[in-house]
Amino acid sequence: MKRCLTIPIIVLFLLALSSVVHADEGHSKFTKHFQKSLFKITQKGLFSVEMIVKEGELKVGKNEIDLIIHDSNDRDVVDAKVEVIPWMPEMGHGVPEKPVIEEKGGGLYRVKNIVLIMGGNWELRVRIKKDDQEDMAGFNFPNIIGGQMHRHQMKLTPKPSEIDLSTVHLSSRKIYRVSYESSPSPIKLNKFHTWKIKIETSDGKPVLGAKITVSGDMPEHGHGLPTEPAMTKELGNGYYLIEGIKFNMPGWWIVNIDIKTSSGRDTVTFNLYLK
Amino acid sequence: MLYKKTINYKGISFILLLFIAFFFLNSTVYAGTKEKNIHLWSEEEEEILNSLWIGSLPPLPESPSNRFADNPKAIALGKRVFFDSRFSGNLKVSCVTCHPENMNFADSLPLAHGMGTTRRRTMPLIGVAFQSWLFWDGRKDSLWSQALGPIESPVEHGFTRTQSAIVIIKYYKKEYEEVFGPLPELDIEHLPKNAKPSSEEPAAFKAWLSLTDAQKETINRIYVNMGKAIAAFVRTILPGPSRFDRYVEVLNKDDRTLLNGILTEDEIKGLKLFIGRAKCINCHNGPLFTDGNFHNIGVPQPPNLPPDLGRAEGIPLVLSDEFNCLSKYSDAKRDECSELRFMSTDTKRFRGAFKTPTLRNVAERAPYMHAGQFSSLHEVLHFYRDLPPEKRLPELAHGELTDEELRQLEAFLRSLSGAPIYAK
Ligand code: HEC
Ligand code: HEC
Repeated sequence: MKRCLTIPIIVLFLLALSSVVHADEGHSKFTKHFQKSLFKITQKGLFSVEMIVKEGELKVGKNEIDLIIHDSNDRDVVDAKVEVIPWMPEMGHGVPEKPVIEEKGGGLYRVKNIVLIMGGNWELRVRIKKDDQEDMAGFNFPNIIGGQMHRHQMKLTPKPSEIDLSTVHLSSRKIYRVSYESSPSPIKLNKFHTWKIKIETSDGKPVLGAKITVSGDMPEHGHGLPTEPAMTKELGNGYYLIEGIKFNMPGWWIVNIDIKTSSGRDTVTFNLYLK
Repeated sequence: MLYKKTINYKGISFILLLFIAFFFLNSTVYAGTKEKNIHLWSEEEEEILNSLWIGSLPPLPESPSNRFADNPKAIALGKRVFFDSRFSGNLKVSCVTCHPENMNFADSLPLAHGMGTTRRRTMPLIGVAFQSWLFWDGRKDSLWSQALGPIESPVEHGFTRTQSAIVIIKYYKKEYEEVFGPLPELDIEHLPKNAKPSSEEPAAFKAWLSLTDAQKETINRIYVNMGKAIAAFVRTILPGPSRFDRYVEVLNKDDRTLLNGILTEDEIKGLKLFIGRAKCINCHNGPLFTDGNFHNIGVPQPPNLPPDLGRAEGIPLVLSDEFNCLSKYSDAKRDECSELRFMSTDTKRFRGAFKTPTLRNVAERAPYMHAGQFSSLHEVLHFYRDLPPEKRLPELAHGELTDEELRQLEAFLRSLSGAPIYAK
């Protein structure tokens, strides 16, 4: 008789335990309301955020999203102060443009003017402040296209009548003075080139230990370089080696060298005209 | 009425005469300048013409991943294998089945036929030694690793690396050993023949897994060396000079009168468009008329075939290829694998992008595009012109081409033929 009882008791006990575990998994009161939304619970578990991207997918350029925010009792969160920050985790930067947020009522916030400036790994950070409660959630978009699929809709830059082809330039915020020497030279189509670049501060001191990334484009076409060049060696005394540079079309190209050191991050752009 | 009466007939006939004289004069002057002008090129245009000229094709590039690439005995062995149909599941397919030497090394089919039907068109082999990426999607980064693909493809040779090693041991022992040294021990009587590491064919895969590591390694080595010999031969297949090349050659000499009669007026006008307003040299550049890179130019996918992502499929395949430049079977040092190391891995950018084909001998090998979508040059040119602007890449913007201009472009493309050259 006793043994007959033990089994059902164990079963009951397990059932009870599992329901406790379930409740403990927390957030069970948060619900996803929209089929096509991305769903996140904020870091401290105060809110749930559903994100609907207007065009289905984020892209380089201007984007619009809707955010639907609920609290832990699945009530619409109204009158909250919402902020959206586009962020590139690897690059450690955001964007110059500020997203514009309009509250539409019923927990819906429309976010316009999310301008992603380049392809790559982006995070949209959503900060929510409601009364004295503050929390945030991050949405990851690891592979934003560099505008390639939408190129015909992109703003392309026509060739200026004169292009400054000099091989020495100040970076855009004038932090660095950069020059390059290409090997082989002159630059040929469809061949690999190695650039030795020299980086100085604006007052002429060599810059050491810089983190460097390289990109390029044909501003009239918007297709980028055919390869992914990289800085492969710091040569000392402000010199660095960049390998893997290739150009596959005649015409106007730009090469952007992005430089990061403790004195700041800045980009220098060189123009080339290939025949 | 009043007006009519006052007409001075003498005056009219004088004016008429003047007109006639003017037209006559004008047309002779025009014809005279035309004769001269047709061969008149700006300095920049002459530079471009020279960059397309076969004379600017450099010597064969080095092949660091294949140290037998220029070995004459490897070339001879590779040539025999290229023509040998014993390397196929039905003893009927060899490389020449789809790459016939008397047809520019390309069949004239929209899709190739071996043991089955491929999903893409056969590519021409002329000048392929200059290509960094092989196949329409660039899923191979050397000619030797490329050659190993069709052998094990069920729709091409339908063979295996194990069977290939056996054929080499049985029929090519001497030639092989002269190039690569003594053949390693392999007990070919007791090997499962249908054995290859291919997930598409579970039975063959299982048989492959049943081999010892030493056996697998031996088979791979023989297979790779066979590929290196085939590559040594394929490397020798080069384009021959065309009428276009003769034109540039003469242009480089000073006597322009010798230029008459090499190219017709239509062909020259087509050439002017090709390097100018039609923007063809954005991609069809260099002496092989290809940049060797990948572009989605908007060719419609045949409805009866599964979607083909082109280069977006090739990128992960070449990165993970067991025979790529960085693999242990490659003879290259890491530094010599620049293409792979600095490859653009942006698969979204290269969705539906295919390798720019050479335009040398293009008139001799219809149909066109990666799945033979167009049956004539006429259709290709109309495609380029009629592509709706929203599908047209900025680098394909060509101004609006007239029917007449399409005809001239076609005439020019027809001047690019010359008999291929290869190791005899
Ligand atoms: C069944 C027909 C067939 C056979 C047999 C065949 N090929 Fe091909 N070949 C093709 C097709 C189709 C392609 C393009 C395939 C693709 O892109 O997926 C191709 C592509 C190539 C290329 C790439 C050219 C370039 O510009 O990228 C080379 C080189 C080549 N073949 C050599 C060979 C060699 C060597 C053999 C024999 C070992 C061979 N082929 C056997 C049909 C064939
Ligand atoms: C943006 C680069 C680009 C430009 C510009 C371009 N092409 Fe192409 N061309 C390609 C690619 C890539 C293919 C193969 C596409 C495919 O199979 O999907 C191709 C294919 C062709 C073919 C077929 C060859 C074959 O073997 O199948 C011809 C002919 C051709 N192009 C001629 C021209 C002409 C003439 C122009 C100028 C009006 C031109 N192309 C401009 C990239 C380009």
